[in-house]
Amino acid sequence: MSTTENSATPLLELEDIGKFYGNIIALQGVTTEVLAGKVTCVLGDNGAGKSTFIKILAGVHQHDAGEFRLEGNAVNFTSPRDALDSGIAAVYQDLAMVPLMSVWRNFFLGAEPTKGVWPFRWIDKKKAKSIAKEEMAKMGIDIRDTEQPVGTLSGGERQSVAIARAVYFGAKVLILDEPTSALGVKQSGVVLRYIVEAAKRGLGVIFITHNPRHAYPVGDRFLILNRGQSMGNFAKDEITIDELTQLMAGGAELEELEGELKAAISGP
Amino acid sequence: MSSPTTEQGDSIEPIAAGDDRVSGGVAAGDERLAYRGVFQRLLVQPEIGAFIAAIAIWVFFWSVSVPFGKASGASSILDVAASPLGIMAVAVAMLMIGGEFDLSSGAATGALGIVLVLLVRDVTGELAGAGFNLYVALFLSLLAALAIGWFNGAMVNRTSLPSFIVTLGTFFILRGAKLGFSKLIVEQIQVGKLDDLEIFAEENGGDRGYGFLSKVFAGEWNRNTHIWEGRDNVYIIAAIVGFALLVLGIYELNHRRGKGNPIGYGLFLGGIGLLIFGVLTLHNTDDISGNRLGALLMFAGMLVGLVGWSLARFDRNESTGFALPANALQMLVAGVVSLGLAVFWALRLDPDNSENISWLALVTEQGARAILFMVFVCAGAIFLLMAVNRARHSSDTGGSLLLALTGAATVAMAFFIRSESGTHKFRTGAFSALLIIGGLIIVWSVTSMLFAKRNQVVPGADRFGLTMIVAGLLSLIASIGARLLWVTQAELDAEIPRTIFSVRILWFIAFTAVITWVLRRTKFGSWTFAVGGNKEASRQVGVPAGRTKIQLFMLVSFAAWLVGILLAFRLNTIQASTGDGEEFEYIIAAVVGGTALTGGYGSTFGAAIGAFIMAMAVQGIPSARWNSDWRFLFVGTILLLAVIANNYIRAKAEASR
Repeated sequence: MSTTENSATPLLELEDIGKFYGNIIALQGVTTEVLAGKVTCVLGDNGAGKSTFIKILAGVHQHDAGEFRLEGNAVNFTSPRDALDSGIAAVYQDLAMVPLMSVWRNFFLGAEPTKGVWPFRWIDKKKAKSIAKEEMAKMGIDIRDTEQPVGTLSGGERQSVAIARAVYFGAKVLILDEPTSALGVKQSGVVLRYIVEAAKRGLGVIFITHNPRHAYPVGDRFLILNRGQSMGNFAKDEITIDELTQLMAGGAELEELEGELKAAISGP
Repeated sequence: MSSPTTEQGDSIEPIAAGDDRVSGGVAAGDERLAYRGVFQRLLVQPEIGAFIAAIAIWVFFWSVSVPFGKASGASSILDVAASPLGIMAVAVAMLMIGGEFDLSSGAATGALGIVLVLLVRDVTGELAGAGFNLYVALFLSLLAALAIGWFNGAMVNRTSLPSFIVTLGTFFILRGAKLGFSKLIVEQIQVGKLDDLEIFAEENGGDRGYGFLSKVFAGEWNRNTHIWEGRDNVYIIAAIVGFALLVLGIYELNHRRGKGNPIGYGLFLGGIGLLIFGVLTLHNTDDISGNRLGALLMFAGMLVGLVGWSLARFDRNESTGFALPANALQMLVAGVVSLGLAVFWALRLDPDNSENISWLALVTEQGARAILFMVFVCAGAIFLLMAVNRARHSSDTGGSLLLALTGAATVAMAFFIRSESGTHKFRTGAFSALLIIGGLIIVWSVTSMLFAKRNQVVPGADRFGLTMIVAGLLSLIASIGARLLWVTQAELDAEIPRTIFSVRILWFIAFTAVITWVLRRTKFGSWTFAVGGNKEASRQVGVPAGRTKIQLFMLVSFAAWLVGILLAFRLNTIQASTGDGEEFEYIIAAVVGGTALTGGYGSTFGAAIGAFIMAMAVQGIPSARWNSDWRFLFVGTILLLAVIANNYIRAKAEASR
């Protein structure tokens, strides 16, 4: 395991992070880093500990072992709000959107720009709409009508709204929880492009997925989890996609399975 | 693990290729988004269904009952619609959009009225009470109201139980408390009387604010003492101006802006002149030839005016060609046959009998025939409109021609009703209304044949059109207001009943306006939609979901306070059972107005319209001389239809915007 020597301090550094629920080890010995403008992929099969990992990063859970450093300082978030205030935004699979509300209202939900004097303070609709449209355009998506309900958008477009929102509200680190898992090939391509776009704009991105073929092209660093254990933390030039896939599924098991399948296909 | 290189290539490929495809796809998606015309845009508003239903129900009751369309009928409808129903329905709609119910809202209205009365009663008087100044009592009862709302909201938040259960508990608590405390303090199941304060003032001096506040909360406008001889001129002119602005606004939104021909404006002015002349002719005569002349003048005025306007402002329609698909033809035949059957049935009505009772009375054989007539007329109209719709899919010209035919059929029905009906109402009222509608349809079809439709958003034109529509609506409201609020000497001589408009109506309008603004324009409104639509999601992005819900419950109990005060000043004595069981009427009014039972979708303005619909049922059924027991059947039917229509509209809003 090697860490790339970098003059800049990483946005996030994790060292030997562990999480225990009673005597159950949910996560152990996880080490990785997130650099500004780079994508760190977290790969793992179902039950590998990805969710626990995100929840620690997003402040939902606290880690029990190891050290979690944000821009060089050790931190321990006690709530999602805490993490959000420090610039760590998580975009969950369910996206935190209200389907019947319009794109711009969803974009600014909870932080609407207002004008006027209290108690006659109202939403600056014009500003909100133009900012929403602009920010979406920066992500490379041209929403024609920001009045349209989010429920009418496709899965990929919804992801883009969520990502654009997190970026606009000052996220430094963006955590994407399985953004491509429910999408078709083309839509996944769209979302992967947004990931690259977000990284280009200087954010550190943590991309959680179980699909190495989605992770490899966009990732700069790969953390592989299996059964709560770190299977390794590699820079892109240290690993090929095949090794990645093998590690992720627990190599030997997959080869065994492949052999069995071949035998089954060739038949008796 | 077959071939690493190709796999790697494959996995990169979607992104690289995705780049082009995506940007291309989005742009193409933009173009594929068809321009939605003014009518389609209107249709996805949650309150539009209620608005159409309100007009239809008004027309229905207007045609079956004599007093319904008169000022006295309007005053009682407005009064019932305003308070307690309307104010509460608006607040309850807001709460329902936030995803909660309040079953205690009905009981709370009575409870807060009782609290107010008890607070101002004399300690030493025959009936016990706290003896506060009225202003202090208002403030204290407001605190009590907000406490009830806070309690409901906090309980719902804390226990995570459905608000149905929590507020059902509050409902029984309030109901019991009302009875218990009334008996305990005044030894009766009613508390009163608030207007004793007037007697108190005579004896002791100082009315504790009653004189002023009774004007604020129970002021009245007696129509019969406000004579205005010029009223009819103002009312007719405002109506014509309003109607014209409305139509022109719709034209502006519907048609494509073109270079235009300035001669059109001249034609337009000429058309307006003809229209006014026609209306005056029609208004000043009750003889058939005068009617025909007036109608003709009006029609010519509308045609010349609108063609002129279009000529001046809009592009010509280049598309020609005419085709009528077979399925449109079928509908056309069905429509014509239905109208023919309607005429046949109407001729079998016995004209000698039809004056005794209103034209559509349910009980008589005449009434049954009349209903059949109406059914056939409606079926005919629907078939014809379906034919228009189908024809339009293949050619605009075909659709326009069929539309003109529909207009002509409407005009024909107008003259038929004019000649066959025995009642004055139909001879003049229905005749002119149908005539105007028929004429407009014909004119619309002519202009839509000649001039091109809009196919893109033009912000300037949109703003101009909307301004005209709003101005038109305001003018129509002013016209109706003038008609309702003032009398002429001639009317007084005819001994019309005493008609009173209460200040409650103003409270209702103001409350609806403020709450609608809050819902649509403020953070709180946005959060209301959010907590009703997806509570978890809104919490994740930082909306204070619990606080928003508590505030919504407090809004409902504030409305209950306002209604309680209005009740106390109106009735002076409040029964312990006042308001019990009315909470469902508020919910029904909200649902009829387009608010979803599941939360996250709805309109407070729609709830106000829903209250009107309920009020029309309350007033219309007895004034049509039907047993008022039918009211519930009517309300139930309306509710079911409303829910079905809302689901449909909501599905449209979600899917096809």
